[in-house]
Amino acid sequence: MINLNINVNNKDFEISIEEDKRLIDLLRDDLKLTGVKEGCSEGECGACSVILDGKLVNSCLIMAFQINNSKILTIEGLGQGDDLNYIQKAFIEVGAVQCGYCTPGMILAAKAILDANQNPSRDEIREGISGNLCRCTGYEKIVDAVELAGRYLNGSEIYR
Amino acid sequence: MDLKYIGNSINRVDAYSKVTGKALYPQDLYYENMAFGKTLRSEHPFAKIKIDTSEAELIPGVLKIFTHKDIPNNEHGVLHKDQQIFCDKIVRRIGDPIAFVVAESEKICEVAIKKIKVEYDILEPIFDPIEAMKDDSIKIHGNSNILYHYKLRRGDALKALEDSYFVANNTYRTHSVDQAFLQPEAGIGYVDDDNKVTVVVATQYPHYDREEIAYCLNIPMESVRVLNTNVGGAFGGREDITLQVHLALAAKTLNRVVKCVYSREESFLAHSKRHAIIMKYSTGVDKDGFLTAIKAEIIGDTGAYASWGDNVMRKAGVHATGPYEVKNVMIDSYAVYTNNPYAGAMRGFGATQVAVAYEQQMDIIASELKISPVEIRLKNILRVGSYTATGQLLNNSVPLEQCLKSISE
Repeated sequence: MINLNINVNNKDFEISIEEDKRLIDLLRDDLKLTGVKEGCSEGECGACSVILDGKLVNSCLIMAFQINNSKILTIEGLGQGDDLNYIQKAFIEVGAVQCGYCTPGMILAAKAILDANQNPSRDEIREGISGNLCRCTGYEKIVDAVELAGRYLNGSEIYR
Repeated sequence: MDLKYIGNSINRVDAYSKVTGKALYPQDLYYENMAFGKTLRSEHPFAKIKIDTSEAELIPGVLKIFTHKDIPNNEHGVLHKDQQIFCDKIVRRIGDPIAFVVAESEKICEVAIKKIKVEYDILEPIFDPIEAMKDDSIKIHGNSNILYHYKLRRGDALKALEDSYFVANNTYRTHSVDQAFLQPEAGIGYVDDDNKVTVVVATQYPHYDREEIAYCLNIPMESVRVLNTNVGGAFGGREDITLQVHLALAAKTLNRVVKCVYSREESFLAHSKRHAIIMKYSTGVDKDGFLTAIKAEIIGDTGAYASWGDNVMRKAGVHATGPYEVKNVMIDSYAVYTNNPYAGAMRGFGATQVAVAYEQQMDIIASELKISPVEIRLKNILRVGSYTATGQLLNNSVPLEQCLKSISE
């Protein structure tokens, strides 16, 4: 067993884990953050995306023991209580949500894009979500949603 | 008139739960003291099998290993009950379920599954549906590998082809495709407080699942509940059952909550595929570019089991002439058993594949007659007053011409 000190969604945890536990299992099985989805277990689909120390990562490819003293953001930590974050709101308004299984990872990928650039081009958005597969939408509306979220963020569209 | 919904953009009712990560799929459900299940699947496409679970049963933490001996009615299937919940004597594809290990943890399941001995007496598999159709081929089920034959006849296609100015003769092949929905199959089985066998699953057909569970367990339908969670994509791939009966049987027998989650790899092995189809087309045309006849032989590889094979290949046959009016039609479409992964529903359901053939035929004919691909289509497209190949009079709203003109402008 290994002891970890981590911060997840702005809460500190001291947790004891098995050496062979992946980050995704720590988040889902131990912390019950089931918004972190498992789609492929090999870093192809991006459903398990989380933001680790400011970087978008696949939590299925990271071992839990590697993240001591790290800060992790999952979809559960994005809004404020019941209030939606501007990206979540944009995804709903544009209709970028269908089956929903890619959605948490996709929204975190959108956050990583917009954290770096408040006014991304459609090509930059496509590049930014290229590690996140969606089988329902065909991506058009997801790109629209990230664009809208960008406008909310840079103030060119009023956030209602 | 002020309408509440029409013309307005309405937010999905389930969007809030999905953007916040609160939406639950079966793998997201955790219960106190739950057991885990894992499926042992065949490694060979066609073989006689003998199973010995005795060593695996002795592993500490293994609760039970379910095989064909444990299921009252072993057969299932949406149209034909040609699949087995657990193969007893023979496997017909890679991935056929043989046993379901239930243990206190997923890790114990994995250890136990490796200790199950399966003796494979390997048979010569058939992967080519044309080979499988021959009289002297080895039969995968019953006494013919031809599961289904659909015939469509209109006019005299053979004569019309003979009289045609030009006939395009070509064979097209499409490949097998996985729906690859993003949420792999998962489920929970338990017996609820009213003694009902309950399966929580993401499914396209909770009512069919319930029928199959009741039949296989030989219990009344009223004793079975199927609870549908959020469904993480399906596209046809969740029309046949996968883990539903395994979970119901384990929960009922052990009186425990049992959870099963497929990996991506197991998901690929478990569910149906889009039919790979071989399409042999002869399309005739007169010198002015009007279609005279279409003759097509359309052979669908339905794999080891029927699933929706009859319906898919009927639809392929019905749509074989595409959105074009042809007076002389001779279509034969088949669903054929092979030892490939079984094919069933996937978006388009047979209508998708034939478009590859009939549209390329149109392009080839246009090129031969030196007219544009748009013009050949406008000459032959279905309009109000047209008859389809199956004899339906289209008496209103056929805006194909309008559509084709506006996209070609």
